Amino acid sequence: MIGTSLCKWAISYFAAAIVWLLLAEVLMVAGFGFPNDDIGGPDTLVIVHMVCIGWLSMVVCGALFQFVPVLVARPLYAERWTLPALALLTLGLTILLAGFLALGGHINGPRWLLPVGAGLLIAGFVLVVANLGMTLWLARPLPGPARFAAVGLACICVTAAFGGMFSLVLSGAAVAARWPELLVSGVPIHAIAGLGGWLTFTAMGVSYRLLAMFMLAPDSDARLGRLAWLAGAAALAVGVVGGVLALWRATGLNLVLLVAGAAALLSLIAYGHDVLGLYRTRKRRALELNTRMSILSLASLAAVAILGAALLATGSFQPHVGALVFLVAFGWLTGLVLANLYKIVPFLTWLEAYGPVMGRVPTPRVQDLVAERRATKWFVLFFAGSWAATLMLLVDAALGFRVALAVVTLATLGLGEELIRARRLADVAEPLRLPTGAAVPHLLISRN
Amino acid sequence: MTANDDLVTQIRQALKVVIDPELGHNIVDLGFVYDVSVDDGVAHITMTATTRGCPAASFLKEGVANSACLVPGVESVDVTMTFDPPWQPWMISPGVKASLGFAEVN
Repeated sequence: MIGTSLCKWAISYFAAAIVWLLLAEVLMVAGFGFPNDDIGGPDTLVIVHMVCIGWLSMVVCGALFQFVPVLVARPLYAERWTLPALALLTLGLTILLAGFLALGGHINGPRWLLPVGAGLLIAGFVLVVANLGMTLWLARPLPGPARFAAVGLACICVTAAFGGMFSLVLSGAAVAARWPELLVSGVPIHAIAGLGGWLTFTAMGVSYRLLAMFMLAPDSDARLGRLAWLAGAAALAVGVVGGVLALWRATGLNLVLLVAGAAALLSLIAYGHDVLGLYRTRKRRALELNTRMSILSLASLAAVAILGAALLATGSFQPHVGALVFLVAFGWLTGLVLANLYKIVPFLTWLEAYGPVMGRVPTPRVQDLVAERRATKWFVLFFAGSWAATLMLLVDAALGFRVALAVVTLATLGLGEELIRARRLADVAEPLRLPTGAAVPHLLISRN
Repeated sequence: MTANDDLVTQIRQALKVVIDPELGHNIVDLGFVYDVSVDDGVAHITMTATTRGCPAASFLKEGVANSACLVPGVESVDVTMTFDPPWQPWMISPGVKASLGFAEVN
């Protein structure tokens, strides 16, 4: 197959995701949730799920709907499932958050809000996994990056299953009375599968292809990414399967987490080695802003590995786990996603606006849809704010964390505006902006 | 130079209006156009793209057909998209390589 079509709703996923991110950031600036509240308390759960489902999962789903077909050179299995999935995820998350707010005493609401919200979220993720899973299944044998995505899809199933069970426990459902330890012991598995498997492993896989494409780096060697995939998949299998067995046998998770952590570290080292190799062998020496900013997110991932190992070695992992998770969610994942959205949104917008008139009239370049110099300051503020916020959490400075988050929020608003300007073709100079036959795309939906 | 050679040159020149949106340069200088020939007013163009599944690939193919059609003397256009051989960065013209910041060592 040559070429794939635009996913009509990918831009809608991105827009919804950015709204959730901004909401979460504003709440954190206002002092809602951790570190002012308990790390496992209902208020923190509101923030965590806004960031992990509303922001990161939504944006990853939208990106995978557009990018998995590119990876495997096949069309998406069912484009028509993408909008119902978006609706289910949005509604499910809203109800789940209402359930957490009720649990925290902020609103009056029935206990069933949590399992109903979780049920709708599971239904949404089932549609996402079935759609992407069938696309991958029909494209076997899979190229390397797609194999990372396949593991990521398996992990979101585990994450969602645990989330569903937690919602039953928290709602006091009779059926959950048989799992008294689940909430304490199951959370690490839920977090490893979600943040580690679904979000990080998927992002790692996709970044192999994106970095190679953007930098014109050779990536045809079948060995590229193999060790990172094997070690990462082993880490996730040990963490998830071993974790479930340990839960079942009530033997404790320490050994499982140690083995999984060692394999994860090996995977990250192999990934770091591969990425450095791509940078070293790239043909395109002049890097664009998205690739330069991806380097900062990769530096955050390296910092996660070093900080995590140091906290474990010094026996201070537990009191600082919040700082580590924040660095994973913002410095690494959010940074990487924002850097890549800064390329993906203008690219999809270009295809919509200028693809149909190509060959008939001169067209601008994708680079003409953005103003890198203006956006650079927002990225610098974002990463500086994220790293400062992590530091504030490490030294237990709650007010300092909120100030740093205010900087992150300002940067997110700035980058959001940059993406809207790209969508509006606002930075494209005349006379190339709207040649005959071209039209400004809709802000929230793609014409495909 | 025969009339056909002249027409092929004009077609190659016309194809320069088609750009790879990501790399930001025209597809002729990027080395995407593998072959152009003309037979009884029918232009046969063999081309490639950076990635088989790229959503820009079909637009590039249409763009090539559109631009070649505008050349006087071309009655119809037949575009073949191939990935054999796959496109490689060394196919880029020296001038574009320089503007993309290609390192001499690579």
